[in-house]
Amino acid sequence: MNSRRIIILAQRVMRQVMRDRRTVGLLIIGPLLVLTLGAILFRAEQSPIPIGVVNEDQGLSSPISGNLQLGQRITDELTASETFDVTLLDREDWEGNLRDGTVQGVIIFPEDFSAKFQEDRQMTLDLRLEGSNPTRSMSIIGRVTEAGMKTLAELVGSIFAIPGSSQSSEGENKLPVEIQASYLYAGEQFDLMDFVAPVYIAILAMFFVFLLACVSFLRERSLGTMERLLATPTNRVEVVLGYMLGLGLFALIQVAVILFYTVWVLKIHYLGSLWLLFLVITLLAVVGVTLGILASAFARNEFQVVQFIPIIIIPQILLGGTFWAVSEMPSYLQPFAYIMPVYYANQALRDVMLKGWGLAEIWPNLVILVGIAFVLILLGSLMMRREVA
Amino acid sequence: MDKVVETRDLHKHFGPIRAVDGLNLLVQQGEIFGLLGPNGSGKTTLIRLLIGLLQPTSGEVRTLGQTIPNKDVLAQIGYMTQASALYEDLTVRENIAFFAQMCGSHDPKWVSEAIDLVDLQDRSRSLVRTLSGGLRQRTSLACSLAHRPRLLLLDEPTVGVDPQLRATFWSYFRRLADQGVTLVVSSHVMDEAERCDRLGFMRQGKLLAEGSAQDLRNKAGTRTLEEAFLQFTEQGTGGGQS
Repeated sequence: MNSRRIIILAQRVMRQVMRDRRTVGLLIIGPLLVLTLGAILFRAEQSPIPIGVVNEDQGLSSPISGNLQLGQRITDELTASETFDVTLLDREDWEGNLRDGTVQGVIIFPEDFSAKFQEDRQMTLDLRLEGSNPTRSMSIIGRVTEAGMKTLAELVGSIFAIPGSSQSSEGENKLPVEIQASYLYAGEQFDLMDFVAPVYIAILAMFFVFLLACVSFLRERSLGTMERLLATPTNRVEVVLGYMLGLGLFALIQVAVILFYTVWVLKIHYLGSLWLLFLVITLLAVVGVTLGILASAFARNEFQVVQFIPIIIIPQILLGGTFWAVSEMPSYLQPFAYIMPVYYANQALRDVMLKGWGLAEIWPNLVILVGIAFVLILLGSLMMRREVA
Repeated sequence: MDKVVETRDLHKHFGPIRAVDGLNLLVQQGEIFGLLGPNGSGKTTLIRLLIGLLQPTSGEVRTLGQTIPNKDVLAQIGYMTQASALYEDLTVRENIAFFAQMCGSHDPKWVSEAIDLVDLQDRSRSLVRTLSGGLRQRTSLACSLAHRPRLLLLDEPTVGVDPQLRATFWSYFRRLADQGVTLVVSSHVMDEAERCDRLGFMRQGKLLAEGSAQDLRNKAGTRTLEEAFLQFTEQGTGGGQS
């Protein structure tokens, strides 16, 4: 072993890295970008969740308590909390509002709500949820329970004494507030994996074809075959389309395998048509190919291709509505979601898998994906360098 | 005779560098035209301009009677790049057939003929990855002529080729020229120049002199081409000391 030689080698390696300024820049900027996005999303002040209240509670008049309007009290509590943006709804309207996304959940207080509470010493809240976002559903359930408990606690402090409220009397830990949640879409049998699966599949499908396209296009440039190709009557758009078609076939096979595995082996719950899922994911994979071709114009070697992962892929995962709903992201981040192909695929996939929607409902997302692919093909062709790298 | 390549006051500048600087070139059908000059004299840039891979800064290029850029005319041109640009994970035959098909020639017989011409019959099913430099160079040549082009542009085709293969290459070139194909061959090796019908001396993007090897020697009044080249270089740079 010769330590001098090792040092000389190390110097050479350092010199090479330093000469590649973009690598040095990305080594620093890449992690910073990802960390910043993560921090913003994790710490984001949640914007109020819109919920609806159908209050038909007739209240209860008793000689001891005076007039008790339990439904109204909980509604006030919910309105006062910063978590919710409460709208009062009629019995006829609530389902439509829930379906079109005006509200994310609806609490229904039946006529005998206060009376029943008096009788059972147990408050059962009828909560209807939209159901396509498990974290949001959980947070609504939690906050509503909290509001119910708080209302009861205030009652204790007031003239009204909760009958049998002494903790020891029944000797059980049952909470006096119970939530009976029902879901518009999906439902309780859907676990977190079922919710994450659609977008998980989409990201994987896109990620691998992106790398494949980027690297193979780059090779074409660095080996000089691109120059030779362009010296034939073909043009750049043709080359990009040829790649799209060729790699698209692999994407198709990959998507089929991934779907088969998630549906039959991992036994993911889903509604809607499997063919439609196949279509959406394949479309996203094609976008991945075109994105890879475009990105390859900015890379000089395979290593630089890998550097695109934190710059191009991870932001799509963070901002594309994969784990954080776009509507709950800080408003200055939301515009970024709308330029990310993953966002549109996510929406379409969730709509199909969790809501059971069909082509008639999800087509706008597909049209946008096709549009993005089209723009990327054009940009990719324009960026294709004529000279050998 | 047809003018196969013609340029008028052709300029190509890369920033302050004048890679091609006011060049007028005329190549006739069926001749082997040698572009001779040191590395960096603008030979590769000129060849790229001739097929429209580069846009001229100013001036005009006409190739096979068409103003360049013209995509259709490329089907009648064969282009061999300096590096043997081949797909490593395809076989010799697959590479040749691919480029032929891109130029609109789908006849497998033409591919076989190209393979025969460069004597690669035994290796036609080998992956390019497994080939030596000389074999790659031959494959690369075959790739540029399987579609039977009327004009062949060869950018330093004999770089890194051993003397024996170099002689073989020149016999291929002569055979093609006899069939009426026009060849433009760039080189920085003077002894190859003797084999060309006509020569152009290039330096700093300019054509210093052109003519047959004999003409150039006579004009310069020197015994060898190398001396002639140096002579023209001195005149060209305005040195003039003798």
